[in-house]
Amino acid sequence: MSRHFPTIDFRANARRVAPAVPAAVQRATMRFLANRAAVVQEMGQARWEDLRRAAHDLRLHTVEHLDYYLARAEAQILAAGGAVHWARDAAEARRIVLSIAQQHGARCVVKAKSMATEEIGLNHALEAAGIEVLETDLGEYLVQLAGQGPSHIIVPAVHMTKEGIASLFRQRLGVDAPAEPQALAGIARSRLREAFLSAEVGITGANFLVAETGTLVIVTNEGNGRMCTTLPPVHVAVVGIEKVVPDWESLTVLLKVLARSATGQKLSCYTSFITGPRRDPAEHGPRQLHVVVLDNGRTRILRDARARETLLCVRCGSCLNVCPVYNHVGGHAYGWVYSGPIGAILTPQLLGTAVAGSLPFASTLCGACSEICPVKIPIHEILLHLRRRAMEGDEMDPPVASGLIRAGAKVSAWFLRSPWLYAAAAHLAGMMQRPLWRDGWLHWLPPPLGRWTLVRPFPTFQGDFRSWWRRRRGGRIAARPPRNGTGRDD
Amino acid sequence: MTEAREAILRDVRAALGRSESSPVAPMPATAGVRAREPGSLEDEVDLLLAEVRRLDGVAKRVPDRGSLASALAGLVNAEAIRKATLWSTSGLVRWGVAEALRALGVELIAPGTDPRDLAECDLGVTEADAAIPETGTLLLRSSAAQPRSVSLLPRVHLAILTPAVLRPDLHHAFAEVSGSGYCVLITGPSRTADIELAVTIGVHGPRALHVWVVEQP
Amino acid sequence: MTVRAKLFITCIGEQFFPQALKSTVTVLERVGVQCEFPEGQTCCGQPLLNSGFQSEARGIARHWLRVFGSGEEYIVAPSGSCVDMVRHHLPDLFPAGSPERAAAVAAAERIFEFTQFLVGVLQVTDVGAFFPHKVAYHASCHLLRGLGVRDEPRELLRAVRGLELLSLSQEEACCGFGGVFSLIYPEVSQTILEAKIRAIAASGADVITACDPGCLISIAGGLVKMRSRVRALHIAELLAADTSAR
Repeated sequence: MSRHFPTIDFRANARRVAPAVPAAVQRATMRFLANRAAVVQEMGQARWEDLRRAAHDLRLHTVEHLDYYLARAEAQILAAGGAVHWARDAAEARRIVLSIAQQHGARCVVKAKSMATEEIGLNHALEAAGIEVLETDLGEYLVQLAGQGPSHIIVPAVHMTKEGIASLFRQRLGVDAPAEPQALAGIARSRLREAFLSAEVGITGANFLVAETGTLVIVTNEGNGRMCTTLPPVHVAVVGIEKVVPDWESLTVLLKVLARSATGQKLSCYTSFITGPRRDPAEHGPRQLHVVVLDNGRTRILRDARARETLLCVRCGSCLNVCPVYNHVGGHAYGWVYSGPIGAILTPQLLGTAVAGSLPFASTLCGACSEICPVKIPIHEILLHLRRRAMEGDEMDPPVASGLIRAGAKVSAWFLRSPWLYAAAAHLAGMMQRPLWRDGWLHWLPPPLGRWTLVRPFPTFQGDFRSWWRRRRGGRIAARPPRNGTGRDD
Repeated sequence: MTEAREAILRDVRAALGRSESSPVAPMPATAGVRAREPGSLEDEVDLLLAEVRRLDGVAKRVPDRGSLASALAGLVNAEAIRKATLWSTSGLVRWGVAEALRALGVELIAPGTDPRDLAECDLGVTEADAAIPETGTLLLRSSAAQPRSVSLLPRVHLAILTPAVLRPDLHHAFAEVSGSGYCVLITGPSRTADIELAVTIGVHGPRALHVWVVEQP
Repeated sequence: MTVRAKLFITCIGEQFFPQALKSTVTVLERVGVQCEFPEGQTCCGQPLLNSGFQSEARGIARHWLRVFGSGEEYIVAPSGSCVDMVRHHLPDLFPAGSPERAAAVAAAERIFEFTQFLVGVLQVTDVGAFFPHKVAYHASCHLLRGLGVRDEPRELLRAVRGLELLSLSQEEACCGFGGVFSLIYPEVSQTILEAKIRAIAASGADVITACDPGCLISIAGGLVKMRSRVRALHIAELLAADTSAR
């Protein structure tokens, strides 16, 4: 990574979250989960699980033969009259896109929602070169106007109120805006329509890139994706290498699970299939299509067979919706463009554990994410794998744990694997807690256990099972006779 | 640029332990599509209409050419259509849609015009190349005679189709279009829930979607 | 043929939930299981593994295998997360082909969580319990998603005489304990716990029960802090209760 990223301090970020944010986030996630449950039930659980298995297996197959499918995709895009550019990292991708924009004298570009372009920091680079960048996805438009980051992958501005948006429009657009969603969306519609019609370049990502025909697949609800890829004369698509899909048959499987998982729609309103620029000058559509194929750390993820399935992600957001941690902090706490469980495994792998080592720990390992993921990424297992990378280091990254923490782990391990030390420690704890004992609970503990008592009292050490067992064995407490009728003889 | 290409492909191969001549395993058997089995044609048309309505679109059967003319009159009134643009497809020509609209006093704009002019249109009329009842989805191709903006820029999008273009599953629709350039799947009018999760219909794409199935083409 | 089971009492269980362990023995003996208690046991290593210290966890796991790794008896633990650790993580701590890996794989096949053992192995749902109270059940994550134990605890609870099983909103939502998570991100653990406590309060139950001591110490602490009168009991304690114990 050529950019320097500051260390992501998840705990500090989480503490700064305003209470209104988790409340708003939970309204969104609960709605999406309920809608998803309804369409899954309509399809039938067995058929749904079948699709998940198919989606996982085809994605894994693709990723395991990624060189072949990338080369094929490129050949097909070229045959269809498109241009293909390869970007090893964010800086290279920015240079490529900027160069294309400048070649066409772009003063304004319109963008459909693309996490890949956020990942590479494209907007800032274009603006620094004097090019106006307009996010056209309504949620992204709103957070762009407000100068904030997204709080959810699918509904980035869910943390904003309609009153706040009305006031934002008044300040930034100089329009008198009523605090009413339909009216506010209408204002955005007319503002952005003008931009769609006059922008020289449309920039998007792609949900998938079908290798069989070199087709970009773009999934939206608002129509902005279609606008960005139909009206401006030049279309630039920034596509991570892992977005490749072998063929249309595989695409069918993925489209059947994507919208259902994301919002509980059977399909999003618009799914565009773009194969090269327009074929006929009389046809609508861009004259030129440029596909920027982006690595930016994905080949590094590929190297690790235990974490490789991170690349199967189709960016549906359902892991966010079901995650207890995400639901109580929202997207900003994760410190970068990817949040929730997928963010907790993707960010440390793209930015390194020195920057994002706090994220794999931002999980209770409840497993709900893996259970809901439409492509069956074993997220909870990859989280554990990355925790080890952070604390002990591996071939990919050196350890980031401080010497003190590693010493603490060593000492705890001694106590936990030696019966003698274990018993001694329990006995000692039992004695030392006496002064701290209040109503049968410990309301204060020294660090690091003090973090527990910040939240709730700690139970007292009261381990008397062994002495109880030994007394029973000695016959002083008679064992209960077995209940009649269990059919087991003794 | 070629340097970047070589570097990335080399890194991919190295990561996977593959070489340029490594074979590609066949797609796993579990990865196949199980396409949906359709009901009767009547049921499939009903399903399409029901799904489109569920998505806040307006959907109906139009028994024949005669009814089509009166349906158009109804639409022009209800949606205050003054300017329209339409595709030039065999169906739309045969049904005389352009004439019917002109007769209703609607100004027709050629679909290949500048998008700014198309954006002034109240109505865009297309003929769907395929429809998938299970999801209430229309498939529209693109060509000089079938410009993409007609279903995108006007305020109202009217898609007319015949029962013959119904397909049981996305899988079947794709089999027909995968080799032929741009196409779009349209599932309901445009919408967003970005502002406080309140569903707003009609964001950048059309505010209203009308789907008519002409039964006696 | 008497069924024999080695008790794996778990570190959290031993230090903070001895009553649950005693109740586990009571119930197992009541249904005719002969219990053994290997005294050398300490911990399965999960806290170290979850903290990212795999090599330290390996040392603890090695000791666990010394204690439990041989023999043919069942191993029963009143904790879903500890059984999930042994079943799904212990083998991977050792190199393929090593004797420890083989011992771990064999132990993984013999180890069961308490309710899973009663219902799945012994085919028993009625353990002769009497507990006339309103009870809500919290489905611990590792038990539910790690081990796939969903219905067994509920079946056992429904067979308890006098027990009224109430539904808990978001029953399968995490309680926010997450082991080391509660120490690394205490504030987030708190907000998740508070949501669980609110659901418990709203359920109308007098008792909240679960199969995992880890969840229970967090929930119990949360209930104390809220000055709630709801008691947090391990499922074994409910199942051990009968007419002779009041």
